[in-house]
Amino acid sequence: MLIVYLDFKSPGAYLAMTPTLALIDRLGLEVDWKPFQTIERDIPKLGKEETVGESHRRVRAASQRALAIKYAAHQGIELRFPKQPGVTNLALGVLAEIVGDPLPFIRGAFNAYWEVHANLNDLAVVHALLQESGVDYRGSLSAAHEALDVAQAQAEDAGIVGAPAYIIEEQIFVGREHLPWIEEIATS
Amino acid sequence: MHVLKSEAPLIIYVDVKSPYAFVAIRPTLALEAELGVQFEWRPLTLDIPSYLGSAEKKEGKVVASKGRNQRTWNAIRYSYRDARRYAERQGLMLKGTEKIWDSTIANIGILWVMQTARDRLGDYFEAVYPPFWRRELDIEDISVVEACLTAAGVDAGGFAAFESGAGRALHDELQPQFHPQGIYGVPTYVLGDDILFGREHIPYIRWRLTGQKGPAPDIAYEIA
Repeated sequence: MLIVYLDFKSPGAYLAMTPTLALIDRLGLEVDWKPFQTIERDIPKLGKEETVGESHRRVRAASQRALAIKYAAHQGIELRFPKQPGVTNLALGVLAEIVGDPLPFIRGAFNAYWEVHANLNDLAVVHALLQESGVDYRGSLSAAHEALDVAQAQAEDAGIVGAPAYIIEEQIFVGREHLPWIEEIATS
Repeated sequence: MHVLKSEAPLIIYVDVKSPYAFVAIRPTLALEAELGVQFEWRPLTLDIPSYLGSAEKKEGKVVASKGRNQRTWNAIRYSYRDARRYAERQGLMLKGTEKIWDSTIANIGILWVMQTARDRLGDYFEAVYPPFWRRELDIEDISVVEACLTAAGVDAGGFAAFESGAGRALHDELQPQFHPQGIYGVPTYVLGDDILFGREHIPYIRWRLTGQKGPAPDIAYEIA
């Protein structure tokens, strides 16, 4: 069993989908998809006066974004960041309570966020995604935020610190760069 | 010296006190050997408290901490665990440090070896990194760094003068250039216009340096 944690607003989680699904298909892995609310920040503006820490965070954010765009292009994706990172909590809460295969909903939510910058915290948007995906959702949209709170607490207790994150054989891996090791574990 | 310019096909910035640089050393040296080229290795001495807060440990327990919330602590702990397991795959031991070290002298040692005994650089890294991460080296003591140079087969005569003179000046000349040029951590690889943070870019670097045959590879921590 492979557990995969994701957040729709995480560029790393978005770019991990194709290689992760390829691994899952190749090895026939059973997967449990779970939500994890990440903290995404816009690139801080260059201030007139900056501490070393502020400068570090600005340069790091710009670098991470540039690399995400670069590797997205390798996948044929033109990655466009929204002006401000969106809130995806409602869609993540829904993901926590989908029964059966949530993949159609996950794909729809990722595409909605990254292609049209849809508000995945909006009831109508998430309801439409559920309808389009055809997944079996027996929860209540009005209680989805609470479902996310529970899932988030469980994930943090398990030691998850970001997304995409993977748990296999009780080992936690954060980031798709670990897929070679995950594959090794899965095939051992 | 300009931080983005070199005659070498690749510049790599490392810091002795970084666990992520530690686990990148051998894979990057292996890439160098595989490609039959010499990269330009340079120091980037991290100012960790400025962006991660600071902490001091004694006998494995945190006795002082500043500027770190629970989420930061969790991320730091994960980072160490992650680096440790990859180090173990390389047959290396990685113990969490008891304090944030000043690695300037050991990093100036990289410049010294690059200038005086380039072919011994891998030996210097082996003399410094593994024992430091076993908590066996006081890298703030210049005599310790000199002993590492000697152990690596590098002539340490003149290093003290270099450390306080030309080497220190070169090291200090690089530091203020990093952020304005888009570099913030280690290991950082500078490949033409690409600034790549992390050893997960090694597959891409190999692809670039071997003629870009086939599709560009994704990021990956390669495993032996």
